[in-house]
Amino acid sequence: MRKGISVAILTAGILAGVGQLPAMAAGGEVVSMRRLTEQEYRNSIGDIFGKDIVVQGVFEPGKRIGGLIEASAAILSVTPVGFDSYSKMADSIAVQATSEKARDRLISCKPGSASQPDDACAAQTFNHYGRMLFRRPLTSDELQSRVKLAANMTKASGSFYTGLRYGLASLLQSSNFLFRVEVAVPRDNGYTLDAYSRAARLSYLFWNTTPDAELLKAAQTNALDTSAGIATQVDRLMASPRLDTGMRAFFSDMLQLDNFDNVSKDSLLYPKWSVQLAAAAREETLRTAITLALHENGDMRELMTTPKTYINRNLAAIYGVPFDFDADWVPLTFTPQQGRSGIVTQISMLSMFSHPGRSSPTERGVALMDIFLCEPTPTPPANVDFSAVNNTDGPLKTVRERLMAHATNPACASCHTHSDPIGLSLEGFDTIGRPRSTENGKLIDVSATIQGKSFVGAQGLGRFLHDNPKYPACVARKLYSYAKGVDSEDVKAREFKAATKAFGDSGYRMRSLLKDMTQSDEFFHAEPPLAAAKTTKLASQ
Amino acid sequence: MKLDRRFLLRGTCQGALAVMGLPFLDCFLDNKGQALAATGKRIPTRFNTFFYGLGLTKSLWVPKGAGRNYETTEQLKPLEAFKQKMNVFSGSRVMIDDNPNFQHWSGVGASATGMSPSKNGQFDSKTIDQTIADVISRGARFKSIAAACAGDPKQSYSSLGGPNNLPAEASPLSLYTRLFGSGFQDPSRTDWKPNPEIMLQQSVLSVVAEDRKRVTQRLGASDQARLDQYFTSVRESEQQIAAELKRPDIEAKVEIPTAPEEMTVNSALPNMRKVLPLMARLGALALATDQTRVFNLSISEPGSQMFVPGDPLGYHQSTHEEPLDPVLAYQPRVARYNVYSMELFAAFLKELDAIQEGDGTLLDHSLVYGFTDVAFAKIHALDGIPVLIAGSASGRMKTGHHIVGEGSPVSRVGLTVQKAMGLSVDSWGGGSMETKSPYTELMA
Repeated sequence: MRKGISVAILTAGILAGVGQLPAMAAGGEVVSMRRLTEQEYRNSIGDIFGKDIVVQGVFEPGKRIGGLIEASAAILSVTPVGFDSYSKMADSIAVQATSEKARDRLISCKPGSASQPDDACAAQTFNHYGRMLFRRPLTSDELQSRVKLAANMTKASGSFYTGLRYGLASLLQSSNFLFRVEVAVPRDNGYTLDAYSRAARLSYLFWNTTPDAELLKAAQTNALDTSAGIATQVDRLMASPRLDTGMRAFFSDMLQLDNFDNVSKDSLLYPKWSVQLAAAAREETLRTAITLALHENGDMRELMTTPKTYINRNLAAIYGVPFDFDADWVPLTFTPQQGRSGIVTQISMLSMFSHPGRSSPTERGVALMDIFLCEPTPTPPANVDFSAVNNTDGPLKTVRERLMAHATNPACASCHTHSDPIGLSLEGFDTIGRPRSTENGKLIDVSATIQGKSFVGAQGLGRFLHDNPKYPACVARKLYSYAKGVDSEDVKAREFKAATKAFGDSGYRMRSLLKDMTQSDEFFHAEPPLAAAKTTKLASQ
Repeated sequence: MKLDRRFLLRGTCQGALAVMGLPFLDCFLDNKGQALAATGKRIPTRFNTFFYGLGLTKSLWVPKGAGRNYETTEQLKPLEAFKQKMNVFSGSRVMIDDNPNFQHWSGVGASATGMSPSKNGQFDSKTIDQTIADVISRGARFKSIAAACAGDPKQSYSSLGGPNNLPAEASPLSLYTRLFGSGFQDPSRTDWKPNPEIMLQQSVLSVVAEDRKRVTQRLGASDQARLDQYFTSVRESEQQIAAELKRPDIEAKVEIPTAPEEMTVNSALPNMRKVLPLMARLGALALATDQTRVFNLSISEPGSQMFVPGDPLGYHQSTHEEPLDPVLAYQPRVARYNVYSMELFAAFLKELDAIQEGDGTLLDHSLVYGFTDVAFAKIHALDGIPVLIAGSASGRMKTGHHIVGEGSPVSRVGLTVQKAMGLSVDSWGGGSMETKSPYTELMA
């Protein structure tokens, strides 16, 4: 009995430390609930419990909205299929974290007895991991329910650590972990994210993971409510090599590299295509983007034109260059005669937007317009008969001839003149990105005219994109939308206008864009749905 | 309690007079419409969907005669073995009303929800399998299971409505693990006892479920709906665990195989021909052992990317680019791909029909709703969208018919299906496709 009382007092003492939550501040409102992506989940678990924790399970797929999967994270929920998987993963992670091997490292207190409940040690553990997982302190109710669960499970199993395991598992499958809940509070004349939501938004943007101890502390001490405090954290996050992880996630999303998961090529026509090649092509593109953007602090427009890339043995075979190196990856600079131009002509971009057995100028054109210029192409009218223009046995031998026939139909022409020229200029590369000069025995013409500008081939296209002011504006738009988890087509240009200008003034350095964007007032500004509805109602009265 | 056959007859068919006029199988239905095995153990009626992209070729699939005794057509030939266990619906219409014709999507939405979708890639309401699962899945371990034969978890046409589709298992191994991995209770085992660990998991879930009451923040309507969806999923997990703690109440004379190997799962036809029978077999075993009563199998996305190695166009491109043969007046290559889809459908039905239970097969105790995205893929035409149904829902649906829709909304088929599955529903669908007229000629 006496023991019971002392435990209760101890627990109460720990609970008192939980303090008042910013989430519960007067007028606070959830403005966004963003389901963790697979990579965000994996990185968060790795940082909280250690990289040796195995995370095995199926993640619910996202959808691309406005060119970004991240935008769908704020729209999708957790289905029964998804929850079943999250629940099993939660238990598996909790088992590993409380295993004999890991507990010395991960559980900072020792129970009075390994076979009895110890509410104080359980509370300490849940407080620590709950704060990391939920990206904010637990409420006392959230904590007490876990302490009670652990005590009951300890009694049922005869092991304190089994009790901990179930308590941790319950945190790991909570909606507060699986969703990044962004809360806004009234400030001046609008709403802005509270401190813990700010910490999470910065952390997932820069490092693609849960906020570390320092960020959480900055949130707790209200340092993230001041521009100086934000600047300190942004500088720290950007100075870390972990910025690579965050920007890899961004480029992966913006360049739609997840499409590779479902690209299949005809193995009879293209026997060189393999899963390994696809993985290498994705890696090549990410290395190119990260090196230019972060390691060289280069001009992002050069992503369209650079002759420099990185290859491994698989890629060398497709690019037609010798590979006699010991290293897995080596830098390569293409000669001008090879006709390559930045990531536009990398195997990834050329093969993702093509058919299994044939290149597709239309798919390539539509994708590149969307990815690099933020100009989505409308879907074609439903009742179009394509066969007259697509019969390769007829007089129209090349794709160009067949596509040009669309121009005779005004309904088709409006869109095809929009996206096809880009794709046609890339016809010098087949569906897996190998160079070629003829199609069905006829020489391929790779000239193109778009928006009044004429150019020839992939290098001409690269230069066209490099010089097109819409391209850097599109990078800024995508980055802003990615960070906020919103549809890029709904974002107003004025929201990231200052950042776009700073981007240009810096000579298109990615670091400048990141820094300016995250330090603008707009970055944490929010439109809470309930408050907005109330304003509308008042106005109509 | 020991039940003799006589008791069953009286108990289920309410009197000898009624018994006389009913088909044999019907006598073995209890008052909830469940079939019974000879031992008196329940045989639930199951529901399946089969989705294939890009439709069929009208001149090659629509049978000439109506009713029974129609002549099998060229494209239905792969299904000939099941002709007496199937119904074929031609002449169905999709009315899109004020919504756009979303290519390759409007037909999927109409067939699966009875209403034309207002957003591309999203269902406006719960899909038919989920509506049926709400009623028939109580007590089964999984409310429904989806599998995608071409390896993309997004190829699932099963949804609770809105942006979330229920992701599909995308390889035979992942399907196997979900069904027969941890938590699987083999009904054929005699030494069954509840797993104490599962009981502890139940306590964890109830703490997670109670978090609902601990939400202190204010949410807008759409986030509230997403949070509700999350807690509904938690609830479903609780029900799953409750099912895992019960002795399986089903007689299944099947053997669960060992886990399949990792294999290449994609849109290449030779791979699909290996993967589909495996997935179909696992689905059939899951139904037979009452792990689930709703199994959804898809072979492609709506604009099917299926391809035969060596064909640079593949299925979808062929539908748009292959000219009509001037003599045949159809697209010969597309027509071959149509038949490949039907062969895969037949392979699915074969697995369902191979499992004996009671006085019939699993297929007899099922309905399989086979649907697609378009009637004529070349121009994304929707009128005449094919629907094929197999199984008699434990005798509740007459089979062997060709129903000529004559421009009826496709939702009539879905309403008929729901009635056969025992749902008390009087109308289904939305907009111009809302219907109160099932095909009564098929109701047993």
